[in-house]
Amino acid sequence: MWPGGSSCGGFLEVSPMESHLEAEDVAQEFVTFLNQGTPPDIQAKAARYVLGLTGSEPGRSLLTAQKGLLQALAKLLEAPPGTAAGAVGDAWRALVNLCAEPSIHGSLLAALPGLPVQLLARALAPNWPWAGEAAAALANLSRESGPARELLAESSLESTNDEANQEPSLARLVTALTTPDYNPHAPLHYLASVLSNLSQLPGARAFLLDPNRCLIQHLLPLIHCPDSAVRRMGVVGMLRNCCFEHRSHEWLLGPQVELLTFLLMPLAGPEEFSEDEMDRLPVDLQYLPPDKEREPDPDIRRMLIETIMLLTATAPGRQLVKDQGAYLVLRELHSWERDPNVRLACEKLIQVLIGDEPEAGMENLLEVSVPPDVEQRLQQLDQQEQQQLQQEREEAVQSPSRLDGLGPS
Amino acid sequence: MDAFLDKFRSQQYRGRLHEDTWEQELDKIPMFMKEAPSEINPQENPDLACLQSLIFDDERPPEEQAKTYKDEGNDYFKDRDYKKAVAAYTEGLSKKCSDPTLSAVLLTNRAAAQYHLGNLRSALNDATAARKLRPSHLKAIVRGAICHLELRNFSEAVSWCDEGLRLDSKERKLLEIRAKADKLKRATERDVRKAKMKERKDEAQKGALLHAVQARNIQLVSPAAEEDEEEEPMSPRGGLGSENAIGARVSLDDHGRLSWPTLFLYPEYGQTDFISAFHEDSRFIDHLMVMFEELPPWDLERKYHPHHLELYFEDEDREEVYQVSQESTLLEALQHARYFVKAWMPAFLILVKQSPFCKNFLRGRKVHRLK
Repeated sequence: MWPGGSSCGGFLEVSPMESHLEAEDVAQEFVTFLNQGTPPDIQAKAARYVLGLTGSEPGRSLLTAQKGLLQALAKLLEAPPGTAAGAVGDAWRALVNLCAEPSIHGSLLAALPGLPVQLLARALAPNWPWAGEAAAALANLSRESGPARELLAESSLESTNDEANQEPSLARLVTALTTPDYNPHAPLHYLASVLSNLSQLPGARAFLLDPNRCLIQHLLPLIHCPDSAVRRMGVVGMLRNCCFEHRSHEWLLGPQVELLTFLLMPLAGPEEFSEDEMDRLPVDLQYLPPDKEREPDPDIRRMLIETIMLLTATAPGRQLVKDQGAYLVLRELHSWERDPNVRLACEKLIQVLIGDEPEAGMENLLEVSVPPDVEQRLQQLDQQEQQQLQQEREEAVQSPSRLDGLGPS
Repeated sequence: MDAFLDKFRSQQYRGRLHEDTWEQELDKIPMFMKEAPSEINPQENPDLACLQSLIFDDERPPEEQAKTYKDEGNDYFKDRDYKKAVAAYTEGLSKKCSDPTLSAVLLTNRAAAQYHLGNLRSALNDATAARKLRPSHLKAIVRGAICHLELRNFSEAVSWCDEGLRLDSKERKLLEIRAKADKLKRATERDVRKAKMKERKDEAQKGALLHAVQARNIQLVSPAAEEDEEEEPMSPRGGLGSENAIGARVSLDDHGRLSWPTLFLYPEYGQTDFISAFHEDSRFIDHLMVMFEELPPWDLERKYHPHHLELYFEDEDREEVYQVSQESTLLEALQHARYFVKAWMPAFLILVKQSPFCKNFLRGRKVHRLK
């Protein structure tokens, strides 16, 4: 297992448009239409047309081949005076769609090298009306490993010389996520996806896990955020990636962070345990009221379980997870759970929790080296398991795929 | 020259200490005092009185005066004389000096002294006032947080700590207090949830008991409802939860059968027997056989043998008496159309068959005997 799980900002629903003109001609005309000085209604129409193009794969390729057009678009993003707000909005939405296409990141960055930094600044600007779109574009850009993500990580970890904001952008990103009404004009849920994507890089993880910074602790309550599954997913994804750093496990499971309580809470339901069993649970999970609901999204539930699984990789971590009553919560979850993927993950974790300790040399499961033939056999088993699950899924009710027509929420 | 020197041998200089009393006299000189008297009497200690009036001169600027009182208060504080410290700080504050820092310090120090005197609310008021004057005054924030913690206002303690930590994120005392307050807050929340759950369970149990009783068509009566003749005898929940004087309650077992705390009354001798859990399916005779295996000491005529006993209950409304068969179960008795369970505790009268007392007791009443 490698740190993974990308979050993307998705595609925006638009009607695909057909172009009968030559690409070059179109491009040239549009550069003029999009530029300042053009009457606002023409600008707005041009922006709307560009947005339409970004709805389809050929349209996107067309656009990114035209450097001049991209640059004109980028200028429009900054809402120069005299531009209609509708045009700016469409330009932003067009950018979100462009960023969603990993194959064109290269051309995008070639035409607009300052784009990641520009987007980050706009996403974190408390008064920017299109900060939500900026965040979604960033989420798309950072989804795949590559120059975009690297660039972003680099710039977010730099300490700025700016007097007003001494902190690196990554810290400000956390602040933006954890301060209610940070930006009253725009929802910033996709910043959580950005966080999750960046946490695939060791530098970002080190920053987030720095015990002197108190960042993780402030992010933990977002696991319960009822307004946005995107936000919850992003935070849990980030936590899962961070849990690959097994040196941090003891701190994460200790009293200063209490990560396990936060991970178990969305998995716990209104079950009644006996008094003995209750006493084994963390304080916050004891005597939950009858209306307690579990995390509704099965993918998030699965990621929560995977995160706990990571925390059991080392012997001390395993002991802490066992001691804090995880088994009880997972036992109840297993009888309630309908989704086959989540059930499987649950079963695997329960097995770890109630099974015997591994033999000498295997204390840290993340560092064990697997011989190639065993690796192969395990992969075969995995494949068989997946096939079984597929069958089960076809028999059960299907939940809709997450990426279709997803817009920023 | 010699005459000049000779003078010193014979004459004493003015103000000299006397050989016998030099220690006491030394003690009276302000500079050599080990302890100052708490009240300065100008007549006994003129020097001291002079010094005092110099220090506490009303003509000095208020800032200086306030500072003097602050120092005085601090001295008392060091000596753990918190009452005097409070007085000194109060005096200093009354000078209404224009320096907000000094005032904030006076308030914070007084808050500390009040805290040590156990006057938590006064301490909190002072800390709050100090913060108003100087929001960045960390000591005031710490003191206020400690007070909230002691007063068990855990949420306020946490939020004061958070505000202080915004000023200095590494302040050790604040981190400590916050961790403590947070832990206690969550434990209290847990206790509230636990209590709510117990309440729910109790309610559910009461509901189940009531349901069981109603399903059996057993009639209940509360002492209060008797006053109101219009109402039908109600089945009140009140009195169900509360245990009677002996601490027994109706209970439902795992098979859905009830057991009642029941009284047997022996009017002949004014005695009672209390059966804490009379299972509704057990028969009276089963209990009587055990209870009267050996005759009780109050049975002076040795006549209360189980098979000579008769069971009755009174229908108070109509002032009639009904006999109950020994062979019947408690449930059957309770289901009698004219039986009303009072305060969730059934009671029955026991008399000896054909005894003079029994005949007397039942005379003049309408008795419904068994066939």
